[in-house]
Amino acid sequence: MKRRNFIKRTLGGASLLSWKALSSGIQDESRMEDFHSSNQRKRAREIGIRIGDLKTGFYNAITDVEGVKVGHATIVKGEGKGAVRTGVTVVLPNKNIQEENLYASYFNLNGWGEMTGIAPIEQTGRLESPIFLTGTLNVGIVYDAAVEYLTKNNNKDHGTIAAPIIAECDDSSLSDSRKRMITGKDVFKAIESARGGLVEEGAVGGGTGMVTFDFKGGIGTSSRIIPMKDREFTLGILVMANTSIRSQLRIDGFPVGKKIKGYEYEEGKSKSIILIAATNAPLLPFQLKKIAKRVALGLAQTGATSNTGSGDIILAFSTANKLPRGHSHEFLRIQSINDFWITPFYLATVEATQEAVINALTTSHTVVGRDGNTAYGLPLDQVQKIIKKYEILKEKHLE
Amino acid sequence: MNRIQKLDLLKKDLRSFQPGPKNSITDIKGVRVGHLTINKDTQDQAGEKISVRTGLTAIIPCDMMEENRLFAGMHGFRSNTEITGYQVTDDFCYLNSPVILANSRNIGRVYNAIFSFGFSLGRSEIWPPVALGLDDSWLNDLDKFSIEENQIIRLLQNCSSKPVEEGSAGVGFGLRAFGWKGGIGSSSRIFSFGGKKFHVGVMVASNHGNLFSFNQKKQGTAKDSAPTPGSLNIVMSVDIPLVPYQIKTVANSVVVGLPSIHTMTNNQDSVTCFLFSTANAMSLKNEGPPVFNYRIAGDSVLDIVTRAGVEAVNEALLNSLLKASPVEGRLGRRVETIPKAEIRKLFSKKGSSTGI
Repeated sequence: MKRRNFIKRTLGGASLLSWKALSSGIQDESRMEDFHSSNQRKRAREIGIRIGDLKTGFYNAITDVEGVKVGHATIVKGEGKGAVRTGVTVVLPNKNIQEENLYASYFNLNGWGEMTGIAPIEQTGRLESPIFLTGTLNVGIVYDAAVEYLTKNNNKDHGTIAAPIIAECDDSSLSDSRKRMITGKDVFKAIESARGGLVEEGAVGGGTGMVTFDFKGGIGTSSRIIPMKDREFTLGILVMANTSIRSQLRIDGFPVGKKIKGYEYEEGKSKSIILIAATNAPLLPFQLKKIAKRVALGLAQTGATSNTGSGDIILAFSTANKLPRGHSHEFLRIQSINDFWITPFYLATVEATQEAVINALTTSHTVVGRDGNTAYGLPLDQVQKIIKKYEILKEKHLE
Repeated sequence: MNRIQKLDLLKKDLRSFQPGPKNSITDIKGVRVGHLTINKDTQDQAGEKISVRTGLTAIIPCDMMEENRLFAGMHGFRSNTEITGYQVTDDFCYLNSPVILANSRNIGRVYNAIFSFGFSLGRSEIWPPVALGLDDSWLNDLDKFSIEENQIIRLLQNCSSKPVEEGSAGVGFGLRAFGWKGGIGSSSRIFSFGGKKFHVGVMVASNHGNLFSFNQKKQGTAKDSAPTPGSLNIVMSVDIPLVPYQIKTVANSVVVGLPSIHTMTNNQDSVTCFLFSTANAMSLKNEGPPVFNYRIAGDSVLDIVTRAGVEAVNEALLNSLLKASPVEGRLGRRVETIPKAEIRKLFSKKGSSTGI
């Protein structure tokens, strides 16, 4: 029940935009109906798409990893020429990442993108800043605001602040990004709104102007539980999806993208995806690098081929080993998963990544952006029908 | 007498940390080293003379009877030689086998012999074998002689924790550095951290700087082939508990921290630093527990380890030159021990742009 209310809330004013699309673009009545129903956004699991075998976490979100919070600030301004559809999403890894660092690592699947603050992470293995996801041209402003935020919360006795992590995808096809409408206030708003539990997905925060597989993309998340001997670990993924072309889209292995009719996106400018992996399992930086690589495999399951203009960058962190800030402490007690036992984490990573990308598609509503460019929400009815057809075919084949 | 301690000029510069009791990589508990030196003249079937001036040097990092994994990492600067086990070291960051330095001809045999050695101990797995390749073709008929497997296994069985024999021993027998006789050198340093004493031990195989101009006149006659680029191979061990990202940082810093004279002599020489920590050995009996508990050193130790390491590498390199006895090899070539005056030129502050 909670979920339903939640979706209504996320649709909010933005659904007005889709009505505009309706009046301007779509005349065929049957398609109109289809369009209407396709705008009732749902998560992949709610329309019967079940990816993988592992159990999801309670919220099926990155926030299932205890302590991780997600916040958004969405900016929707103007219509037609000069319309702005952008925003920022923040992932807070714990209560105070500055004082309590976490191990992290990253994988650069295709480097045509930006993720600031990575050089120190590669050097020290430590995450010392929240993670911000935004549009390409917003990076400087968000960086500046992040520095302000970190400085504000900084205990000067412990030294200066670390480099913040700002990752980007290009939202210029739906947003007049050159205007750089984002301000420090928006960034602070996103941080203040950050909470655990349900994560708003789709065209929100940094995902507001993103297009993926030539449908409206944006923020998506998913999680998996990894049972291990006498305990359980959780792994969550959050993506900002803006990548790939329609014909490549596969959902749970079925080539859905090729079969969908209508809803063409003409701009054809989708590129880049940022993927964040979080886990409460004690993994050291070199092990997190392996997780980050498996995130890339999960992305591949959606059909994405990491095209040349796509900046596909992955960050993975673990909340288990809590490292006191600074480098002056003499000895630390830490834990690490035995490499022999790490394989289930890979499965969880691949499953959750795939589902997070699909969630970004299924939860994003249609957005009309700059110059009337319209990115349609994935038509869920069609998708359901296509998958059902394939499943019947598959069963027949197996018989 | 010709140990570096006897050179007043360098003593002062190289000793801000105390060396360990053996001043050798074997100061690290559990580390054992052995050499196999091969010096023989034979003939091939066509009756041509073959000069074999080669060998192997093996480093056993810990007790090999059980499956222990040590955290390890490496940094290669312009690395142009073979390093097996590269991917596992890069990705899984552990060492679980002896490290053997051999000429490039023998890498395959060494690789295979490490397997055989592991099986002979009753282990189910010894993976990945780590073999570092060197080029000793200046003095050695590289293409015409291969080492037998049982020799390699015997070498591994006979490694000892005595001070490492230096100079023209083991793989160092056919090496050449700065146009003079190069080879094996070793040194160690003690440092204290958190109220405890720790060691860093170094072994080098010097085979670089041959295109460098200090000894240009000595570089043979016109009959000789052109000198080939070489490599400085550093194996470093610490007993302070470090985790992989720290190990990578130290390996990287040590290579960068070497005086430029060692590394910038030409644009083809490579420097490889392979580093492992003997603390926090992961015991994998019955696959081990799902989660390991470690006590690790904080990052503030890294610059101490690096400084001590660079010092030890410098001393080991000097030892490798000073201890090396002259060797006469292929095509009647003779490579001499470096004269002390040349050492001064190479390593004094005047000679090197950065000094040491």
